Parts: sequence; structure tokens; C-alpha cells
Amino acid sequence: MDPVIYQNLVDICAVSMLLLSVMAIASSRMTRLSQIFSIHSLLLAILAFIVAMYTGNNHIFIICALTFILKVITIPKFLNYMMDKINMEKEVEPLIGIPGSLLLSTALVLIAYLITEPMLDALSTMGRNCLAISLSIVFIGLLMMITRRKALTESIGLLLMENGLFLGAITISYGMPLIVEFGVFFDVIIAVVIIGIFAYRINRTFNSIDTSFLRRLKE
Amino acid sequence: MIFDVELVLLIPIITALICFISPKEGIVTWISIIGSALGLVAVLALCLPIFLNGTVTEYGAWYVDGLSALFMMITSVVALMVSLYSQGYLRTEREEKLLTLRSEKHYYVFLNLFVAIMLSVFVVSSLGLLWIIIEATTLISTFLVGFYRNEKSTEAAWKYLIICSVGITLALIGISIIYASTVGLVTDESSALNWPVLMSIASQLDPVLMKTAMVLIIIGFGTKVGFAPMHTWLPDAHSQAPTPISALLSATLLNCALYGILRFTLISEITIPGFATTLLLIFGFLSLAVAAAFILISKDIKRMLAYSSIENMGIISIGFGLGTSMSIFAALFMVLAHSMTKPILFFVAGNIIQQYGTKEMASIRGLKKKMPFTSTMLIVGTMAIVGMPVFAVFIGEITILYSAIDAGMWWMTVIIVILLLIVFAGFILHIFPMIGGDTEKDVHDPKSIVRALPLVVLAGITLFFGLFMPNDIMNGFEMIVNNIFRGML
Repeated sequence: MDPVIYQNLVDICAVSMLLLSVMAIASSRMTRLSQIFSIHSLLLAILAFIVAMYTGNNHIFIICALTFILKVITIPKFLNYMMDKINMEKEVEPLIGIPGSLLLSTALVLIAYLITEPMLDALSTMGRNCLAISLSIVFIGLLMMITRRKALTESIGLLLMENGLFLGAITISYGMPLIVEFGVFFDVIIAVVIIGIFAYRINRTFNSIDTSFLRRLKE
Repeated sequence: MIFDVELVLLIPIITALICFISPKEGIVTWISIIGSALGLVAVLALCLPIFLNGTVTEYGAWYVDGLSALFMMITSVVALMVSLYSQGYLRTEREEKLLTLRSEKHYYVFLNLFVAIMLSVFVVSSLGLLWIIIEATTLISTFLVGFYRNEKSTEAAWKYLIICSVGITLALIGISIIYASTVGLVTDESSALNWPVLMSIASQLDPVLMKTAMVLIIIGFGTKVGFAPMHTWLPDAHSQAPTPISALLSATLLNCALYGILRFTLISEITIPGFATTLLLIFGFLSLAVAAAFILISKDIKRMLAYSSIENMGIISIGFGLGTSMSIFAALFMVLAHSMTKPILFFVAGNIIQQYGTKEMASIRGLKKKMPFTSTMLIVGTMAIVGMPVFAVFIGEITILYSAIDAGMWWMTVIIVILLLIVFAGFILHIFPMIGGDTEKDVHDPKSIVRALPLVVLAGITLFFGLFMPNDIMNGFEMIVNNIFRGML
């Protein structure tokens, strides 16, 4: 196929991921959020597949498979299981309202483009758009972690950040050495399990997984 | 006899396993002590020759040079001390029904795994693996921070996990940008992140990419070092963890992330001289200033010690940031001095907190009368950490000040001195009232030699390095500075 087609396909996936992140910020229901994360990861897997086809790099196929198994299927399942188990209310309860969050995320996207602007010359064509988008997703994930009160929403914010990170890693460097990628996935899954355990424990000790209870430690 | 890197890593892992499968829960504490002692022997056998002769051990995925050797020896010594101290500490906690035998067993399993992971930070060659392992230190130590399972410790563990995970994600973006800039420069891309490879191509890396990467990496790893303003997890985690773990976090965990920053700084100094060191200077100053302010107003003894760790990391970072051979030597020496001194204070705090049942310094009085040994060690530790002469920290701080003057930064030296005086005042103001006076509470020194031993040994080490500097060790430090920091100078 023509490289331009690959390029366009990658761009489509990346942009959809960005849009989904914005949707995640705008959504007010927990179950919806885990669905969005699942689709977000699916797009990442497709993007990895396209990059793998384009570069012929076998280990990006492995990344694609791992993303699919872990992030599209396992982690959302685990999140849903946690939500059932701790029997939480399904509302998200943001600290900053949804319109405000949307405005902020627009600003963050602009900032990401500003930051990456001087780096464009040094990057491959595929990386140019994707680095900015990847940074935007990371920032939006961060915003979500800061402005959402529930422990599980914070975890999803972290997971979105990780997806943004992988988007960057795959497109600007065509995947880091495989052993590193494996290790990273390993860490992500452990992190989710630990976060899950803690979310459960917060639920038990505080009778709610609203993390605004977690404001007692100070001077 | 050759002690391989694998052995060094396996000993704590095997210790953890034995603790895990041990049928009798009462003996795990001794297993842990023996395991840590063996671990220390293995680390010394591997690292001392490397440190003293300036050689490099490199095979497979491992790379150990003088810098790694220094950090590994520090980690191992502190780990043994923590194991020793934990024996008496946990027994008292158990007697007060705060812990069960079963959770004590878990404690030792996590403790030894944590040590194994921290040691592996220093031996891997690939900087990508380095990232994974630093993330793994967060994950495993979260359990130790949240060990008491009450509201406060859960909150501290949650904050710790979330803030450090976010920070470390930023660092990974930085690393993948560096990886991207190696494309086309190396033949075998799977080894592109290996330290020797990166060093050899450092001068050809893209400066613009490197700048962005370094900002992300220093912010990311800096979160874990405790640089202000990303330090907010640190006082919470240090104050809520079991006290021996606080000592371990402060004296070894912070070093792990610092080591990560150092490795990347060395590379970036070849590509874009002066950029990363300036960042280190800025963060160093911020941390020192924030910590000084909080030490002055703190009420909780463990929080005050945590802020003092931030302060010391700030000074160390200023030392590296100055970038002269003298200041780098001083910073490395400060790493050693801080790691040998801070556990003394945490252990003392542990003794006091268990007896008085409070962390509030205002309600602790009469130490000298009721707990003479603890109060003596408290005075020694306080004098050592604020940088009084004859203690190791003094040598480090004075050398950093001297090299700041040497580099012509007068105004900076003045600010550092003022901030250090504030820290000094803060410590004196909070610590000395606790020693004087009297209390109605029935308190006494812990009657355990195993528990007193680490305090005495650590005080001995910090005094030794304050008074003598054996030529061999001095040479070791100089070789690290010369060999590894050739890019910086």
C-alpha cells in the first residue's frame, strides 16, 4: 500500500483516541467510562497493527496482541467487577463541572501542540501529529485524575494516560525494545490490580470510594 | 571467587520466599535478618572491588560501575539495619495488638522483595528496564506504606501510588523520546537504551528532543525523589508507614529515583551541556526552600524527618547541578551521609512513638530522664543531620557550599546558608524541648540489644566518615567523578 494511506489510517486512529479521551472527560457515568476505555484501547491496538504492517516490525504485532488482551478485554472486565463488588453509585461527581473540564481539555490540547512544535523537524512523518496527540491524551488523563473524586475514576484517568503514552511510544519510535514493552505492560497490569485492591480498601475503611475523604493528612 | 550480580538479587528474593513459606511465623524476623546480612556480604563482595578499583562489571543485561556500586552498598547496609530494628519494633507493635503474627510475616516478605527490586535498579544496563524497576519499587512499597490498613495509612498509600505513577508515566514519555532520537544511530535497536550504547552516541542525539525528554524525565523521576513541588506524597507516606519502612523509604528509595535522574543527566550533559544541571539546580533550590519552611512549622516528628529528607535531596541535587568535580563529589558523599544518618532519626522516632503513643512533638517531654539511650541517640542524630562538625553531613554540606563559592555563585551560597540555618533552627526548636522536662507517662528505653544495635552502628558510620576519609574510599569517589562524569566536566 501507499505510505500515505498508512499515514492517514494512523492519523484517524490517533484522532479518534483523542476524541474518546474528551468523551471520557465529558461522561458522567462510571460504566460508560470503562466502555470508553475499552474502545480507546481497541483503537490503540488497531493503530499498533497498522504501524506494524507499515514498518514490518514483528514485535509491534506482539504489542498489538497484548494491548488487545489486556486493555480491551481484561482490564475493563476487572474494572466492571470492581464496580459491582464495591457496589458504588454510578455517578462520577466531578470537582469541576463537565463544561469547565471540556474547556480545560481544549486548552491542554493547544498546549500539547505548542510544546511539540519545535520538535517536529526531528521526528518521522508518522510521529509529527501523533506526538502532540499523545501528549494531549496524557494531559487529559491527568486532568481527569485531578478533577474526579472517585478512586476508580482516578484509575481510569491513569489508564488513559498510559494509552496516550503508548500511542507516542509506538508512533515516534516504532516501539521501544520489546523487553521494555513487556515490562511496561506487566507494570500496568500490576498497577491496576493494586489500585483495585486499594480502591476496595478505601471503600471498606471510609465506606465510600469518594477520594475527597482522603484529605485528612496535612500539617 | 566471583560473586555474580544474579546472586546479589537472588538472596533477598530467596529470603522473601523462605519468609513466605516458613511454617513458624515467629522465626521470619530472624530469617530476614540472616538474609539481609548474607545479602550485605554478597553486595560488598561484588561492589567493593568495583568501587575501590574503578572497574566495570558488564555482562548480559547487567552493568555495574562505581556509581551503581556506591548506591548498592548504601541500600544493602540500610536494609540490614532496618531488618535488625524491625525485630524489636514489630514485637512491640504485636504486644500492643496493632499487628498480628500473620501480618508480620507479610511485612518481611514485602520488605525483602522491596530490597531486591531496589538493588536491581542499580544493576540493569537498559534505561528502559531501569524505568520499569523504579515503577515496580512504587508498586511493592505501596503495600508497606499502607501496612496498618487504617484510614490514614490507606490515604497515604493511595496518594503515594497515584502521584508517583503519574510522575513516572511522564518519565516514560521522556525515555521514549530519547529512544526515538537514537533511531538511525545504532545498528541493533534492541540495545539502543543500554547505558554504554547511549553514552557512546550521546553527542549525536537530537538536542531539541533531548531537552523535552529531560524536562519530562526530571519532573517524572523527581516526583519520586521528592523534589518540590511534586513532593506532596512524601511526608504522608513517610509519616504513615511503619517506622522502619519510613527509614528505608527515606534512605534508599529516594536514592533509586535520584540514580535514574543521574544516569539521564549524564547523557544529556553530553548532548546539551548545562541544560539538565540547570533544572537540577532549580529543583534543588525549590526543595530546599519548601522543606526548610515546613521543618520550621511541623508538629509531627516523622513529618519533620520526611521534610528533612526533601531538604537533603535538594542539597544533593544542587551539588549535582553545580556540575564541578568538587560539587559532584560532595553530592555523592551527601547521598552516603544522608542515608547513614536519617535512619538513626527514624529509629529513634520509632522508639519514642511506641513509648509515648503520639507523634506530636509538643506532647513528648522528659526523654533525657526516662529514655536516656534514646535521647542520646536523638541528640547524635539531630546534630548529624543538621550538619554539625565531626559528622558526615557536615563534610558534604561544607564542600557543596565551598564549590558554590568556587563557581562564583555568591548570592546562591548566601541563600543556601540561610535556608540551612532555618533548618537548623527548626530542628533545635522542636527536638530540644522533647529532651528536657519530665513526663508522667510510664516510658522507658526498649530493652533489646538487637534494636539498639543499628542505632549505634549507623552513628558509628556517620562519625567515621565525618572524621576520617580513608584514601581508598576517597579514590573510589574520585574515580566515579572522573570516569562517569567525564561528560559533565
